[in-house]
Order: sequence, then C-alpha cells, then structure tokens
Amino acid sequence: MDAFQGLMSGFQVAFSIEGILFVFIGVFVGTFIGMMPGLGPISAIAIMIPITYSMDPTVALVMMAGVYYGAIFGGSSSSILLNAPGVAGTVATAFDGYPMAQQGKAGKALAIAAIASFTGGTVSVILLMLFTPILSAVAVSFGPAEYFALMFMGLTAISSLSDGSTIKAFISATLGFIVVTIGIDSQTGTSRFTFGNPNLLEGIDFLVIALGLFALAEVSTLVLNRKDNSMSDNKEIGSLRLSKQDVKEMSGPMTRQSFLGFLIGVLPGAGATIASFIAYITEKKLAKNPEEFGKGSIKGLAAPETANNAATGGAFVPLLSLGIPGSGTTAVLLGAFLVLGVQPGPLLIQDRPEVFWGIIASMYIGNIFLLILNLPLIPYIARVLRIPRPLLISLVIIFSLIGVYAISFNTFDLYMLVAFGIIGFLMRMFSFPAAPFILAFILGGMMEQAFRQTLTISNGSLAIFLDKPIALTLIIVSLLTILVPMFTGRKKLSAKNDTGKPL
Amino acid sequence: MLRRINQKISVFLAILAGFYLVLSYNLPKYPNAIIDADVVPKGLGFLLLFFAVLLYLDKKEETEAEKVKRTISKENVLLLLAVLVFILIYIFLLEIIGFLIMTALFIFGCSLFLGYRKHVTNAIVSVAFSLVIYGLFNYLLKINLPAGIIPL
Repeated sequence: MDAFQGLMSGFQVAFSIEGILFVFIGVFVGTFIGMMPGLGPISAIAIMIPITYSMDPTVALVMMAGVYYGAIFGGSSSSILLNAPGVAGTVATAFDGYPMAQQGKAGKALAIAAIASFTGGTVSVILLMLFTPILSAVAVSFGPAEYFALMFMGLTAISSLSDGSTIKAFISATLGFIVVTIGIDSQTGTSRFTFGNPNLLEGIDFLVIALGLFALAEVSTLVLNRKDNSMSDNKEIGSLRLSKQDVKEMSGPMTRQSFLGFLIGVLPGAGATIASFIAYITEKKLAKNPEEFGKGSIKGLAAPETANNAATGGAFVPLLSLGIPGSGTTAVLLGAFLVLGVQPGPLLIQDRPEVFWGIIASMYIGNIFLLILNLPLIPYIARVLRIPRPLLISLVIIFSLIGVYAISFNTFDLYMLVAFGIIGFLMRMFSFPAAPFILAFILGGMMEQAFRQTLTISNGSLAIFLDKPIALTLIIVSLLTILVPMFTGRKKLSAKNDTGKPL
Repeated sequence: MLRRINQKISVFLAILAGFYLVLSYNLPKYPNAIIDADVVPKGLGFLLLFFAVLLYLDKKEETEAEKVKRTISKENVLLLLAVLVFILIYIFLLEIIGFLIMTALFIFGCSLFLGYRKHVTNAIVSVAFSLVIYGLFNYLLKINLPAGIIPL
C-alpha cells in the first residue's frame, strides 16, 4: 500500500462516526486534564487507559493520540490565564502569554495560542506522514544490537536533557530499570526479586508506575497547594480578534518553529519542553525588538506554542516507526498501545495499516477540533479551572485507583500504586525527575532482552557492538551526551522557571 | 560528613544498591544460558552505586527553589498522611463493602476533609460520579467493579 492509499484508508477510519466521536472525546478530555495545573499529559493518558480496555484498538489509539496533543494544548490555556502551566511543555508559553492576559488581552493570547498550535500541529502531522514510513523502511533491517543502541540513546538523552541535576536524572533512570527487573525473567524463567510473592511474578504493571509516579504524586502537590485561589479568579478575557498586523507578526515564528519543533520532537529525549524553550530563545534572538519578549510579545507567545505542538507530532515518529518512545509521555503512550495488543515498530505500517494511518489521519481532524474547541469555547473552558480543588483531588485519586483495579482486579496492585505514589512524591520533593524513571521502566524490559539476544548471538562477547556500525555510532553518541554535560557543567534551559512551582 | 541533603540521599541509594546487588548475586543459576538472568541486575546495581557516589561528590549547592520544594510544614505532612490513610482504608474495604458505597464515601469524605464546604454539591457529585463510573465500567466496558454488599 503506498502512502496516499494508506492515508485514504486512514481517513476512512478517522471519518467514521466512531472515529470522529472518539477523536473529539480524546481532544476534549486531554484539553480538560491538561488545563488543570499540575496534571500533565502523562496523567491524562494514564487515566484514560482503563477506558480503552474493551474498545477497538484503532479507535482507542486515535483517542489516546487526541488526549496527548489535547493535553499539551490545554496546558497552554492555564499558562496564559493563571501563569500556572499544567505541563512542562507550556512553561515558555507563560513568559509572554501571562503578561498579555494581565494587560486584559487574554482572549487575544488564547487565540494566538490556538492558531499557533494548529499550525505547528498540522505541519508536524504532514512531516510525520512523510518521515515515518521512510524510517520504518530503514528500521526493518535492525537487529537486537541496533535496537539496544537506540533505546540506550533514548535513555541517556532524556536523562541528560531533563530539568535539573543530570546525575539525579540518571539515578531516576537506573531505578526505573531496576524496578522492571522484578518478576519472572522472560528468557530463563528465573523469578527475580519477587520475595516469594506470587503477585510480583508478572512484574509490576506499567499503569501502577505511571499513575503512581505521576497522577498520585501530582495529587499530593495539589493537596499542598489547595489553598491557592488563583483558579477562582473571575477575569475578563477580552476580545479574541486578531489584527492583520498580529497575523503578520506571528507568521514568521510559526513557519520556522513548525519545522524546528518537529525536528526536536523526533530526537530522543527532547520533546515539547525543550522545543518550546529553544523556539522562544531563537525567536528572541531573531526578533528586531527582543526587549518586548517577556512583556507580552506576540512572537514570544506564538513561537513556543507552535513548537510544542509540532514537537508532539515529531515525538510520534520514533514511537510509530521504531516502537521506541523518546520521552516519558510517549513511553506511557507505548504502554497504551501494548495494553491494546498493538506493537508499534517498523512492521506496524504493514501489519496494522489501519492503526498507523488511522492515527495520522485522525491528527488532522484532531487539530481542527482543537481549533474549533478552543477559539469559540475559550471563555467557557476557562470556567473549568474553577472546579474546587478538594473535589478535584478526590476525583483524581479515585480515577487512579480504578485504573489500576480494572487491569488486575487485585488490591495488591492498589497498595503498590500507593507505594509508587509515595516514591513519586519523594522524588518530586528531592528534585529527581520522574520522566527518565518511566521511560527506563518501559524500555528496560526490551533493552535487557535486546542486550541478551545480542550477546547470545556473539556467544557473550561485547565486541559484537564494534561490528555493527549503526549500533556503534549510536552508543558513542549516547556516551558523549552523558560525558560532555557532566564535565562542562550544563546551562539550565529552564533558567527562567525559578518560581519553584512544580511542573 | 552528611552536610548536604544530596549526600544523605546518596547514602540511602548506596544502601539500596548494595541490597539489590546482594539479591542479584543470590539469583539461581541457569546452566544453559550464555547470558543469565543475573547479568543485567548486577550491572544495574553497580551503576546505581556509581551514580550514588557521583551524587555524594557533587559539589552543586541546592537552589532556593529546590529548598522550598522540600520544606513542608508539619500541618501539611499530617494532612498528606491523613489522605494516605483514607486511601488505604478505601483499598482495604473496596472488595468487602463494594465500589459504589466506598467511592461515594471516599469522594465526599476526602473533599470534606480537604475543606470543601458545599455539602449538597459534594453529596450530589460523589453519588453521581460513583454511579456513572460504575455503570460505565460494568455495563459499557464490561469490566466488573466489586459490587460488595449491594446485590446488583
């Protein structure tokens, strides 16, 4: 099937009544959860997974993709209105979005964000459609050595690029990998670290980790900040109208950052957060009057908003073509694929074309929904932010508990969930990033398998990696990304985010 | 010796790594495997130990924001512990009493405890939410949540 035919069949899936309905539900729920300060796309996806259990995999995944980019979008609304980004990827949006809102131009800021997101999202879907099949074709020939090297690169990249201390990020990744070694070893059948507990034989379910480390840990932050009344502010939003001058000013950053954001999104470990910061910084450098940045500049708002949405599209490239997530969020999304019995990777296009093209086609529609949902409904959506926190906290806790119970029907897993919630809370408290943990947890099992397969082929000799040029290059690049920042002292991208607010 | 908070954490991590390594070395051997089940865990244990040492030696001072993040007032600690106890009670009684009653009670009680004072709204939301979720899972998604003492 060539790309055009594939896309047409994808549109058939996406334009079915079910398809449209679930894209809409996904985008709506994603926006809703993403808007809640403190709740990000990982929680949004993890909370939605149980609902997909008995659904058709294609429709379910179309919905999950919608949740993902919807959550990134929703984060920008709370960044602009409250200066409280729901998602790390929209921190840069608040730099100019919030000043605009304070000047009484919240409506305009939200409109700019909506249009910039739409542009970034749409351009990146087109690029995604073009790139993924090519990368898949290359990746078909990859053996376990290449896969191991790719996953190794993903892990080192996310650790060296994450916020804060690099060492802590690596510790977080190592711990995630350690947790996944619990359970029966898939190659020898040895039960490892189960302490004789039969509940641990199958290992810990990834939903326990995702909901514990993210949703429950985020809840505890919400408990601490529950008296924050910023959500009940009743601010005037102002007109949504943009002038010709505004549009002209936006067009430059939007074009550039659509492409740049996409490329950064493709890279392992990077993603929406880094794309939005780089977009902000480059546009500030390119601007004729950089002093306007930070005071409500249109360019300063359009650039990160375009880039973070373009990056979400880019992040789907490694996920769909290689089956290897490059970020915490796509790792959870991979978990959602696996729960539904769909294995993303180079064979996805051939084996499950309806899934592959359905997701891509649905993203076109999803982006249009986001635009429709967000332009006229902005004033109403803003009211969502007034849900009383105590109620919100209770509901998120219950959602997390149901999510885990619905996969295992076992209260043991619920206790595990609480334990990981506590671990997640402690990690936040001591500034250990959680994204490397979840990525290592998802990749760990596959990495161990690939590593042992490789060494079994070579009869135990590590020299096999030297004979595989692609694998060797990837490993050298990964080692450089570990060593260089450790010795040079890395500049923090998030220098401006010194408010101490949890992201 | 343990002036910085990171040093305390690193000692804890080193102990964890040691414990994990002991367990790894005691894993049963499988004679025919070229790469046995203990290879990767051993590697991970040493890796964690290595990073713990790096963290111990890391000279970087804590930023103000990081310090603020880990200072929690006693009142808040108690509050979090109370919520934790609520959750544990919920889990313990979930299969005995059933989803509907426990969920409604949890949402109402937890929201009330965290300072939500609109009792009528709270009651409506907690009961309606439990019913909707129960219906959604049991009848639409065919995932049976525990009915408990209510015969449904």
